[in-house]
Amino acid sequence: MEQKLTDLMLIQNVLNGDSAQYALLVKRHQRFVFTLALRFAKNREDAEEIAQDCFIKAYKALGTFKQTAKFSTWLYTITYTTAMTFLRKKRLNTSSINDEETFIQLENHTSSFNADGYERRDSHRYLNQAIQLLMPDDAIIITMFYQGEQSLEEIGKMLNVEPNTIKVKLHRARHRLKEKLQDLLQDEVKELL
Amino acid sequence: MKTIEEQLWDYIDGNLSSSEAKIIEDKINSDADFKLQYEALLNLDLAFSKIELDEPSMSFNRNVMESVALEAAPVAMKTKVNTSIIYGIGGFFIVSLMALFGYVLFNADIKFSDFDLKLNTDFNLDKYMTPTMLYGFLFTDLVLGLVFIDYLLRKKIAHK
Repeated sequence: MEQKLTDLMLIQNVLNGDSAQYALLVKRHQRFVFTLALRFAKNREDAEEIAQDCFIKAYKALGTFKQTAKFSTWLYTITYTTAMTFLRKKRLNTSSINDEETFIQLENHTSSFNADGYERRDSHRYLNQAIQLLMPDDAIIITMFYQGEQSLEEIGKMLNVEPNTIKVKLHRARHRLKEKLQDLLQDEVKELL
Repeated sequence: MKTIEEQLWDYIDGNLSSSEAKIIEDKINSDADFKLQYEALLNLDLAFSKIELDEPSMSFNRNVMESVALEAAPVAMKTKVNTSIIYGIGGFFIVSLMALFGYVLFNADIKFSDFDLKLNTDFNLDKYMTPTMLYGFLFTDLVLGLVFIDYLLRKKIAHK
């Protein structure tokens, strides 16, 4: 049985000249990097651009990667800074997630969703909708903690914040996510979850 | 002061010490409302962990690899900075300076017998900075540069 190469083995192969092995690293992490980018960008085109930029930056800087840390932590740090730079460039208003327009869009989205006959109350779909309504920092922390399986210390390193601060931010982010879910589902939140 | 919700999240995340966790456990077992709140948060925690990752377009991987192909291959920092080459270049300059210093001393009129140190102060640098010497110096630099490039290329080929 062929043994799965670890991230560090793949990196070593790339550094030894086998650039094609980088495709395996990309494939392994692309979903998470893309999801993180989507938490900032809010549309797929921009998120793909951020994610692509992030993988190219990581490739160029691969020689500087200290192999004592997890590759994922290093990569997600690059994703975070790339997304922040992208947002600054695009001058997106990242603090207006709760504004009226967003809710109007969501309502329209939900109603058209029902009108199309898709009335299945899929919890994953609603969770993804709710997380899109969070502020980027809240969404990032939840995504890193739950989907990225990063510890509070690792998230702290990525965001350059103390682990205790991350713990508090995580509590708040979960609370806000719960509220968004309740807004979306009204009374159904209990039965859905 | 932590709220009940924060305490419960800490308990669910495993951030509490064993004694603190025991207190929460006892509360869950004795207080029905507390237990209800705990179960609600536990369900939320389970739901959050099931949030699905989004999938980029089918061409994403190919696009990245096409862009990566245009970039220079990454090299480990150790390979980038080879200390022996740095020492070699440094050594050459030290030897050159020492040779120059020795030559100046050799041409100086020094008498140790009466401690009458007579340095050749009218040392004319222009006399020694001839075009031939300058060309020689530049030629040596060129050779060192070529040796360095040759070394890098050989190493790169060896890795392929």
